Amino acid sequence: MTHNDSASTSQVTTTVVDEPIRPPENRQTQRTLVRSLTLHTILAGLGILFLAPMLWLFLASIDSHASWGIEWPHFSLINFRHVLTGSLLHSLWNSVVLAFISTTIASVAGVFAAYALSRRRIPFKGPLILFIIFSSGVPLAIMVIPVYEIFSRFGFLSILPTAVFLSVTSLPFEVYLMKNFIDAVPTDLEEAARMERASTLQVLRRVVIPLALPGIAAAAIFGFVNAWGSFVVPLILISPANQQPAPIAIYTFLTLPKAQFGNIAAYSLIFCVPVFILYAVSSRLFREGFVLGGGVKG
Amino acid sequence: MVSTAVVDTVTGPPLQELWKTRHDKTRYQWSSLGLLTPTFALLIFLFLVPMGFAIYLGLTNLTLIGPTAVHSSFTGTANLIRLKGDTTFWSSLWVTGIFIVGSIVGVVVLGYTLASLLMRATPWMRVVVGGIVVISWMMPAVTAGMTWYASTTGNGTFGTLFGHPNANLLDAQPLLVVTLASIWSMTGFSMLVMGAALRNIPSEAIEAAIVENASTWQRFRMIVLPLLRPTMTAIVLLTGLLALANFALIYIMTQGGPGNSTNILPLYSYQQAFTFNNLAYGALIGNVMVLIATVFGVFYVRITTRRI
Repeated sequence: MTHNDSASTSQVTTTVVDEPIRPPENRQTQRTLVRSLTLHTILAGLGILFLAPMLWLFLASIDSHASWGIEWPHFSLINFRHVLTGSLLHSLWNSVVLAFISTTIASVAGVFAAYALSRRRIPFKGPLILFIIFSSGVPLAIMVIPVYEIFSRFGFLSILPTAVFLSVTSLPFEVYLMKNFIDAVPTDLEEAARMERASTLQVLRRVVIPLALPGIAAAAIFGFVNAWGSFVVPLILISPANQQPAPIAIYTFLTLPKAQFGNIAAYSLIFCVPVFILYAVSSRLFREGFVLGGGVKG
Repeated sequence: MVSTAVVDTVTGPPLQELWKTRHDKTRYQWSSLGLLTPTFALLIFLFLVPMGFAIYLGLTNLTLIGPTAVHSSFTGTANLIRLKGDTTFWSSLWVTGIFIVGSIVGVVVLGYTLASLLMRATPWMRVVVGGIVVISWMMPAVTAGMTWYASTTGNGTFGTLFGHPNANLLDAQPLLVVTLASIWSMTGFSMLVMGAALRNIPSEAIEAAIVENASTWQRFRMIVLPLLRPTMTAIVLLTGLLALANFALIYIMTQGGPGNSTNILPLYSYQQAFTFNNLAYGALIGNVMVLIATVFGVFYVRITTRRI
């Protein structure tokens, strides 16, 4: 290579017309080509490694003879039909109820607090905000044992109180996220509404919430995903079997002596779908700039 | 609409009263209290009260069943002495440390590598590889644990991929496998955040370094790393906190076993409280977790507020 190059450069000095100034440019493109090829090979390798663990989930769900092992499936959609019945379907419904209630509580309480922390003069505001940031980072699900003891004394070991506790585990991060979005809303419109003697609730409903909607939606989605995927909290805090959400159903599935692997995979895949859809929605909301904070998965 | 506004202006407080208000003192609006009450009531009753209660609970002889389930009493330092001599606890603390540090290193290194490579990749590659990594992050912990169990047990995907289909990787290297699963489930977040931070680095800085003939390593050390440091620190702390509480993933994959090789603190705490019925002792182990989480949390608050 170098030999050829030196030869060509010596030629350039002698016969300028025959050899244009091409060779160095070629080398440049060649080098970027090699670099880009390595880059894409590494990326493809990483992509395969990240995809590999998921492979079983997809293949087993459409395999009527699935096992723990990886194998070419006997194509069939029977697993999906099996799991969308009876108590399994009911568990999915419980997950919907649990996630909806906890999201509603956290988002409604959170938007009020976020507005007050963003706009109002409040005594000890600094420490309050620090407390919110602190509890947004710390996974509050580790409080589950004392909460269990409190709930069992009051007879609260059921789905509704659990939804309230789950709302608390996502509340601090939701407040922090919504506060950042409300901070970015200009105050002019709010002042105009105040001039018209609009009440605080009217200002919130007519001005602040519509303008900060992307942030509020993103916060609500975070709360929903957090409650939807939560495992240890319902495992400990919900005692009636018919109130258990889908993650507990999946776990129970695994502990059965004769596990139906295809059904487990199909059910888990269905369980993942809402999370993926909500992520697709929220990534659009987040495109303006990802806000860093506690992504607590329980 | 307009007419009510006019009426409101007429029936509002008389002008003299408005003049009387003093502007040299901070005034607080009572409605702020109403706005803050729901959030802080929830946080007080379901976070601070349980936290305080757990401190008391850890020093009692409360059990899940039996006579002490109803009439428990304060036993002082008895549980602390037990904790000090509990070899399972110390090994669990060690395992937790390895799990957390392994997760942090993997998540930061892989997150940075993916983010910086994807920036220079073709759009098609960016969508596919980025999508796979993000999906693995979004997957609920129960599902992630299950599919990782299937992939690393006998005849699993990884064994087959590396040419030893019958190898049971999970049994052979349990802690390594659950740490890898934990890294896998958190890298997407780190990649997205790191990618956003990388895009915010002014291209002039990099171009200037290229003009100065700085090597790739020099550009990384002198420009990218210092500008990325706050983001990386935040990712380190959050990954640590999430790994500390990553109950579901390990519970599904190994239940803390084989032996106690993957028994991280949240699992051991759960095991003591609900399998061995020592609710009070489980709460005490939970308090150790709260202590660790508080240290991480305080640093997290500092790094977050410094950037504002």
